[in-house]
Amino acid sequence: MKILVCVKQVPDMESRFKPDGSGTWFEEADLAFRMNEYDEYAVEQAVQLKEQLGNEPEVTVLSIGPDRVNEAIKKALAMGCDRGAHIQDPAPQGKDPWQIASIITQFAQGEGFDLIFTGMQSQDRGSAQVGVLVAELLGFACATTLVGFAYADGVITAKRELEGGIKGIAKLRLPAVVTCQLGLNIPRYPTLPNIMKAKKKEILAIPVADLLKEEAVASTARFYPPARKGGGIVLEGDVGNLVEQLYGILKEKTTVLR
Amino acid sequence: MEATREIYWNIGHGVVIPMYLLTFAALGVLAWGFWKRLPVWRQGKPLDRFDRYDERVKRLISTVLSQCKVARVKDGGIPHALFFWGFLTLFVGTLIVMLQADFFTPLMDVNILKGEFYKAFSLVLDLAGLGAILMLAGLSIRRFVMKPEGLETINDDRIIHQLLFAILITGFCVEGARMAATELQQNPDLARFSPVGYVFAHLFTGYTDDSIRTMHTVLWWTHFGLVLGFIAALPYTKLRHILTTSINSFFAPLEEKGTIATLNMEDESQEQFGATKVTDLTWKDIFDADACTSCKRCQDRCPAWATEKPLSPMKVVKQVGEAAWSAPDSSLVETVTADVLWSCTTCRACQDICPAEIEHVNKILEMRRSLSLMEGEFPGDEVRTAVSNVEVNGNPFGLAFASRGDWAEGLPVARVSDGEEADILYFAGCYASFDKRNREVARSFVKICAAAGITVGILGKDEKCCGEPVRKLGNEYLYQMVAQENIELMKASGAKKVVTTCPHCFNTLSRDYRDLGFELETEHYATFIHGLMESGRLTLAPEQKRFAFTYHDSCYLGRYKDILAEPRAVLAAAGGDLREMDRSGCDSFCCGAGGGRILAEEKLGTKISEARVRMAGDTGAPLMVSNCPFCLTMFEDGIKTGGFEESMRVRDLAEIVAERIVA
Amino acid sequence: MKALLVCEYREGKLLDSTYELLAFADRLGAEKAMFLIGSDSALPACSTTVYLADAAKHGEYNPDVHKKLVLDAAQRENADCIVFVHSSYGWDLAPRVAAALRAGQVSEIVGIVDGGYEVGCCNAKMRRTVVPKSGKAVLTIQAGAFSSSDTPQGTPRVERIDTADGASPMEFVGYEPAEKKDVDLTRAEVIVSAGRGVGKKDNIPTIEALAKALGGELGASRPVVDAGWVDHSHQVGTTGQSVSPKLYVACGISGAIQHLAGMKKSDFVVAINKDKDAPIGEVADVLVVADVMQFVPALTAKLQ
Repeated sequence: MKILVCVKQVPDMESRFKPDGSGTWFEEADLAFRMNEYDEYAVEQAVQLKEQLGNEPEVTVLSIGPDRVNEAIKKALAMGCDRGAHIQDPAPQGKDPWQIASIITQFAQGEGFDLIFTGMQSQDRGSAQVGVLVAELLGFACATTLVGFAYADGVITAKRELEGGIKGIAKLRLPAVVTCQLGLNIPRYPTLPNIMKAKKKEILAIPVADLLKEEAVASTARFYPPARKGGGIVLEGDVGNLVEQLYGILKEKTTVLR
Repeated sequence: MEATREIYWNIGHGVVIPMYLLTFAALGVLAWGFWKRLPVWRQGKPLDRFDRYDERVKRLISTVLSQCKVARVKDGGIPHALFFWGFLTLFVGTLIVMLQADFFTPLMDVNILKGEFYKAFSLVLDLAGLGAILMLAGLSIRRFVMKPEGLETINDDRIIHQLLFAILITGFCVEGARMAATELQQNPDLARFSPVGYVFAHLFTGYTDDSIRTMHTVLWWTHFGLVLGFIAALPYTKLRHILTTSINSFFAPLEEKGTIATLNMEDESQEQFGATKVTDLTWKDIFDADACTSCKRCQDRCPAWATEKPLSPMKVVKQVGEAAWSAPDSSLVETVTADVLWSCTTCRACQDICPAEIEHVNKILEMRRSLSLMEGEFPGDEVRTAVSNVEVNGNPFGLAFASRGDWAEGLPVARVSDGEEADILYFAGCYASFDKRNREVARSFVKICAAAGITVGILGKDEKCCGEPVRKLGNEYLYQMVAQENIELMKASGAKKVVTTCPHCFNTLSRDYRDLGFELETEHYATFIHGLMESGRLTLAPEQKRFAFTYHDSCYLGRYKDILAEPRAVLAAAGGDLREMDRSGCDSFCCGAGGGRILAEEKLGTKISEARVRMAGDTGAPLMVSNCPFCLTMFEDGIKTGGFEESMRVRDLAEIVAERIVA
Repeated sequence: MKALLVCEYREGKLLDSTYELLAFADRLGAEKAMFLIGSDSALPACSTTVYLADAAKHGEYNPDVHKKLVLDAAQRENADCIVFVHSSYGWDLAPRVAAALRAGQVSEIVGIVDGGYEVGCCNAKMRRTVVPKSGKAVLTIQAGAFSSSDTPQGTPRVERIDTADGASPMEFVGYEPAEKKDVDLTRAEVIVSAGRGVGKKDNIPTIEALAKALGGELGASRPVVDAGWVDHSHQVGTTGQSVSPKLYVACGISGAIQHLAGMKKSDFVVAINKDKDAPIGEVADVLVVADVMQFVPALTAKLQ
């Protein structure tokens, strides 16, 4: 079995974001980058499946972006993926999900993957499209938002998270794409021997131009902080005073204090 | 009549050959016993503890003879020391007799055991024997009647106590019998110099000379047999501690306290990190188990044990020994259990009090390295998150690294990474940078420096966690990553001197970073402020605001660095009236945050911080002063959760000083 | 502009989010047609065309077949945009439709701005304006972002659609009910919720005490539930419960979009957060900038 995991490197969400010069994406200076949290679950699930199948499957981890994304690839390799594919793109934010999906598809077509794992969305752009688009472009079965994954005899049993705590169970035949929701598993912390081994694993470097065949179908016109909700009061200062002020407001504006 | 005695009286010189043969046989059994232990010790990894030979020998002799480490705990320690000196005196006396009888007399025809010297000799030995019997009696009552809590008594203890009693009593009986037949009749004046023998002699006075001689012969051989038994039993019973514990003073670590082996991360052939099995520890770690006397002082002092957590440092040491003997291939980490290993705060109270120079903390840290580096384990998910945060943002809170220097906004602080210059580089650390409460400490420190005319620089957003908590959690890899970045930045900053407000940063920069090529002078603010006051650059006005307080010695400033007097002097100069806790100085009780526990929830047992706040409350002082952001955080918490808000406050030394500056 | 609005139907019921689609289309000023794989007994109250396929035949979740039916309806209606709710159904199906049409998709729209659609990004800390560049567009709207105060009414004109091609590599097995709740937050008048900002599990009782003092229930954000600090039955958000209390107090909750979606309908929102810029501030009527663990006990004391 050949498995592909698609990961994205994103800024830590605690960072302070400000628009870059173009005004369509964030300024990268002063941001700390890490693997997209959803994708960590994807990597873990792929490695768990590999272990379940007696380490027979080969797991390839792919990431698109500038050189810094090698850190995310290395982390996935240290978690147990076998080889990396770095699609070199200094400005992936300029490509829409459709283009990103087509790049991945171009790469995957030559490789003969049976199963593709990825996060259900990225923490920064949050489009939740790429996984499904890749499946459509490759003609694979696809289930999104997995909080449960089981595999036996070429069939995946996927537990999807629906609204209100309800789960939907579906069975998929390979080849397939699954997108992972938070809480699917507990992503492992790479052990040092595996970090060492990962240093020796192959990382393919492929210029994005070799794989990009599609035009964008959507674009970002502007990136900006949200407008504050009108009427919201901001209280600051000494805790004692804050309590008095809030108490007064609650008394006046709500009916919960009797 | 001259004061002397006939050696081998009633036994005859014919005994010499069988006596020596038997003695050699006993020594042979002893040697065999230790020889068989040798391969067990040697299962451990190599470690050079034969360097600095003279220093080690001195340490061995002084520690053993003075019994200084044993006597540090009065209960048990003082009687042990007195017993030791008594027994040692008897041993030396016996050697002198041996030299006299078998060397001086036959070879040189010289008798030193005569006259005034013999009188003194007799008296000293008698008193030593009496002392030994009394101390042994005391120790037996303590162990078998009073049964102090936690003191484990095994068969060895019964055998040893009985054997020692028997040796001492039969010794006096032999002396008594001899005196009854000789001195008592021939030289009663001399008998007075053997007061105990004199008493024992009266047990025999009613008998005929022949009966006394028969009894003497039987007693002599019994005494001799018991002594041979004592020698032969050494390696096979707890008596072995006489040799192993003593020799451990020779093997004691001579490097700076708190030194942990820095792993080589470049060596890609390395496949084992930390200690999973006992054979991954050093031979000294295994030897330590043989040096342990189960005195349980480590356990008595352990903050984890005191708050009902599963860790007993003594038990861990024993488990290492048991594994070395019976299961060297099984997982030591599993035997000891993760809960035990994660409970340690690395406060070093155990190691500090250990009379046997056992190194508890590094054993635990090596096993934690196995958990962390080989298994990717953490004490809890909150710690996993915190460690990932250190990885990504350089602080355990996961706050944006770019905001690290925000606390200094509006303060006279230079950003050295932007090329600005300053007298000192203030390595603020994570808590002073991000934690609201501890930012007060950072601001106070800057205020103090400004008052003393010292300009302060910081690394700002470029500074990262010093790596101490993650290192103590076993994650050497991440530690070295952040350490290297900090070291390069500090080197590049052009700073001449680094000051920290955190003892953990201080220990790490001033000691651990040395292994990674960091050489800048590093000081903790307690001594730095003390220096400013000594040199007259900083003056405090104590008069108006005298205050009562108790001072908490943080483990990493006190026990690890022996900085006890300076912070007290500073606080005294600030107008503080110190009320010491029972456990202060090197006996201080941890706040619960060391060893990376600051990042972990305290899920087992009761809260260490509350226990410490209670101790502070017992002094009657309404204020505790600390010198560490972790302590401050823990006590703020302990005061709230323990319900001490009405009676106790905690403040940092810098805050107190900053309020009392004379402009 | 013509919009095809894809309704949702689960366990035999039409979901209320259907009306958010109508509200969005009205805001857009588009001509509306609806699409539903459901049944005649659960039609939306509206006066537009509804393309209706039989859920009994095509399943409630069968994306490959549903995609074909949507595409069929879109073609018959000649829709310029196909609109879904950004839900487990919508985000699963929308990209499939977009791929088939080679259409640009804009996900989780929160507003309509000049020249494009406004969407959240970077964990709701920031916004983007996204513009589809294709002739047709696929849109998903954030749950709760668009609503109408009008009571839905009308009878739709039903157009039946069907397909004989039911081939799919996927088989829907069924639903697993939500874990039993020991608390029903949907009926609570006051909810005091704990977020990651409360610091640690030990602090949860402090938040609970405030809930009690206000006569309400304890709620929690997803990270707090995932960390095991609070049981899942207390979770507020898209994967927990959607609530509408008279007073919602968010303690140390930064305001991830999934959480905001679950509590937006609260009458009055108080947020306590040390970060003045936390996204929760957007929906809060009062934002108290303070340390949760200092402020909450003080407020509780005042209430008692």
